[in-house]
Amino acid sequence: MMTVPSTTVLNRLAFGPRPGEGAEVERLGLERWLARQLAPDPHDDPHAAAALSACRLRITYDAGEGWAKTDEDRPLASLDKPPEALWPLNDGKLPFAGPERQWPRNEVAAATLLRAVHSQWQVREVMADFWHNHFNVYGVERAVGVLLPLYDRDVIRAHALGNFRAFLEAVACSGAMLVYLNNRTSRAGIANENYARELFELHTLGRDAYLNALYNRWRDVPGAAAGKPAGYIDQDVYEAARAFTGWTLADGAGLGGGVSLPATGRFAYVENWHDNYQKRVLGQEFDPFQGPLADGRRVLDLVADHPATARHLAFKLCRRLVADDPPKRLVDAAARTWAENRRAPDQIARVVRAIVLSPEFAAAPPSKVRRPLELVAGFARAAVPDFTVTMGLIRELDGGGQRLFGQPAPTGYPDTADAWTGAAAMRRRWALVMGLAENRWGTGAAALPAGTPPPATAQAAAEAWQRTLFAGPPDPAVTAAVLPGVGLAPGVPLPADPHKAGEVLHRLAAYVAMAPRFNLR
Amino acid sequence: MTHAAFSRRTLMRGGLAAGLLTVPGVRHVAYAAGGAGGQDRTLVVVFLRGGADTLNLVAPADDPDYVAARAPDMRVSTGGAGAGLPIAQRLAPAVDFRLHPEAAPLADLYTARHLTIIPATGIPDGTRSHFVAQDLMERGVAAEADLSRTPTGWAARWTAAPGPGGAGPLAVAAASSTPAALAGDGAALAVNGLQYGLAPPGGPRTAAVLQALHANDPTPYGRAGRAALDGLARVDARLPRAQPGGPVEPYAAEGGAVYEDTEAGRGLLTVARLLKMDMGVRLAWVDVGGWDTHENQPPRFAAAVRQLSRALAAFHADTSRFHGSLAVVVMTEFGRRLRSNRSQGTDHGHAGTMLVLGGGVDGGMLGRWPGLATAQLDRGVDLAVTTDYRAVLSAVMGPAAARSVFPGYGGGPLPGLWG
Repeated sequence: MMTVPSTTVLNRLAFGPRPGEGAEVERLGLERWLARQLAPDPHDDPHAAAALSACRLRITYDAGEGWAKTDEDRPLASLDKPPEALWPLNDGKLPFAGPERQWPRNEVAAATLLRAVHSQWQVREVMADFWHNHFNVYGVERAVGVLLPLYDRDVIRAHALGNFRAFLEAVACSGAMLVYLNNRTSRAGIANENYARELFELHTLGRDAYLNALYNRWRDVPGAAAGKPAGYIDQDVYEAARAFTGWTLADGAGLGGGVSLPATGRFAYVENWHDNYQKRVLGQEFDPFQGPLADGRRVLDLVADHPATARHLAFKLCRRLVADDPPKRLVDAAARTWAENRRAPDQIARVVRAIVLSPEFAAAPPSKVRRPLELVAGFARAAVPDFTVTMGLIRELDGGGQRLFGQPAPTGYPDTADAWTGAAAMRRRWALVMGLAENRWGTGAAALPAGTPPPATAQAAAEAWQRTLFAGPPDPAVTAAVLPGVGLAPGVPLPADPHKAGEVLHRLAAYVAMAPRFNLR
Repeated sequence: MTHAAFSRRTLMRGGLAAGLLTVPGVRHVAYAAGGAGGQDRTLVVVFLRGGADTLNLVAPADDPDYVAARAPDMRVSTGGAGAGLPIAQRLAPAVDFRLHPEAAPLADLYTARHLTIIPATGIPDGTRSHFVAQDLMERGVAAEADLSRTPTGWAARWTAAPGPGGAGPLAVAAASSTPAALAGDGAALAVNGLQYGLAPPGGPRTAAVLQALHANDPTPYGRAGRAALDGLARVDARLPRAQPGGPVEPYAAEGGAVYEDTEAGRGLLTVARLLKMDMGVRLAWVDVGGWDTHENQPPRFAAAVRQLSRALAAFHADTSRFHGSLAVVVMTEFGRRLRSNRSQGTDHGHAGTMLVLGGGVDGGMLGRWPGLATAQLDRGVDLAVTTDYRAVLSAVMGPAAARSVFPGYGGGPLPGLWG
């Protein structure tokens, strides 16, 4: 096996290296480090737990009908709540100020950033980010946002390294997805196709297996007659939509005859809304009247097992972990591992392991552009030891960097460089690292690693930041590029006044973080 | 001297110098230049992301198949409170086509013959996927098999074709990143807004550091950094300020235009401001989302139509001195299903409607109306495509330009757009 530099490992499988962490990876070796990461113990994460309990987010609003003026620093309190405690925030008849109704999304965003920086289970955090984008929901929509803590906790994190078929059902039954892709209101008659279509196109088989431009009838799809169609067409979407009718949310909706669903925010199945007649999906006959949930579950079985799903998910995982255009050999190997382990409880972990231990992983140069979440977390892990999250930082990301859980399109955020390197996006990146380095949002002071001797000269300071942020040797070209920005020649001592010296140091940290090397992983 | 020897830029410079903003003769000559082949024309694309229910924007309001397929609140009606706005047309004289009641600004533009409506437009491919359909429409191809062979977008090929020069950038997107249609144009600039200027944070010293950090970087990221710094600086240098480095002067729209603070309003304001900075912009792109209405469509669609119509009308009024050489094309990846679903929404369909707005268009409805009877629908469910979206874009660009932009397209331009 080729050896992989520890910096590469931590840039791709973690949100960047912390000081000293590379040595830990080298001591254990990649295989052992990875094996430990792929079996995380969520109860053993003291730094993340401390950061989560110390975090305070400011909430401010004026008095209104039924509520008092509020201006307070609030601890994260939504993350462990059951649906019954969250769902009332969506009830327009109850007296909640608007910011209260939006609050759960802020807490999940804060927790995501805190864990990305402080959790020792970095592979799980990277995979949680991957799956949140794969199974994207739009948390700015109120009903989705109030259920986001559940979605993050019980769906995405619970299954991030587990079995894909089980994951799919958890997503299909989640309030956040039922609201976002409208299956909540789908019922027999003319079903709502939104969820069924994205289940095929985005969640499982993928658009390469969408053959609607080629075939009008299901039996014309190659392999369909033998029950193994190569892909899907709109007729499969129509039928799958029928299969999921009645899968809904206990949101208090009326069922007729004076009966209503409870308003618990939990999954519900309404037999009266389900289209019980026979169906055909992916070349398979569904008999009529199969009993509660059976039709939808059978669709999930079929799409989870389809070879196109293995290829689609393998490609996306390789794109995330290796390169925008990953080598075909690697994708093929990952797809084989995916399919062979499709009944394994740790299917996803096994695929991640196969990708990471491949020669292609070791050979790929750093070419992935860090998205804003990765940029923030990477900077903080290297250079902000006491990093916390504030509403200022969340708003900065909301305003144009990467609004967490706020991507309206069901694709999630793009995972390729072109989406993050337009002029406006570049400008936001530069503002983001400068704001972090200068602690503009109160997220914590940037500092060289504990034990680093204070740099005596401007050049020494620029080099110390490079060693910290790059987790590698300094580059003379970067040193030469950044020093004029603070108006100091290489050998000039830093200002004696500690405040002025701090300004120079923080500005240099920002400049080093603007270097292309820090922005690629 | 031929008309074509006048470029819009020289005309506008002359017009500004003389203090003449809306002289009819200037408009006439500029139009002749723009019409000579389309190559001098500036395109503004407004892309409605999500698949707009255009059967509910320009509606065959009295078509019995339309009436039967949708509950009253899911369609435009011919009478009562909230009836659709009648429009005169000769495309399908037997059908009472009406604009959505929230599209009053568009009805006015249509009556003044500044707006042409082309129904039943779209891609020939059978996809109902947002992402495949958008890809096809942005790369400028007909079939999915052509996507992998087409790494660039049609808008990038248009800006690469010979045309009037300028300080650049030639292509801009009012967004944080450029759309796939501009893939391949490394100088295309994406900007969210201009009101705070575009200089990098940290002043000129930081700008110099950024230049040095990206100057010799061979990676695509390094190139992107250089392109961003260059494009941002060019535009920033032209933004009006009372003193150098000071705040950007507020934008003063012309013609009584009022832009609302909506996605369409903000985007078109940014485009108008860029056009007036006289940099040689040949294509501007504005994305407008919110059209994927599978559920609870009536209020959502009404708000979207209202915002879009008002923004287009504001832009038209604000840019009247460019009308001769400016065309705004409104398009969407597909229209929606004729029959509504039981969530008070509509699912993905096939043909949509394109709008072309500008001082030079001849107005009216163009193309061919295929009808809504089941046998007339695509696969029995969706409005059929009778006009390839590239026919409309070819008519806007002019046939010579269109041939280089759509090399595989042999259908020719839609006739009648320019009278």
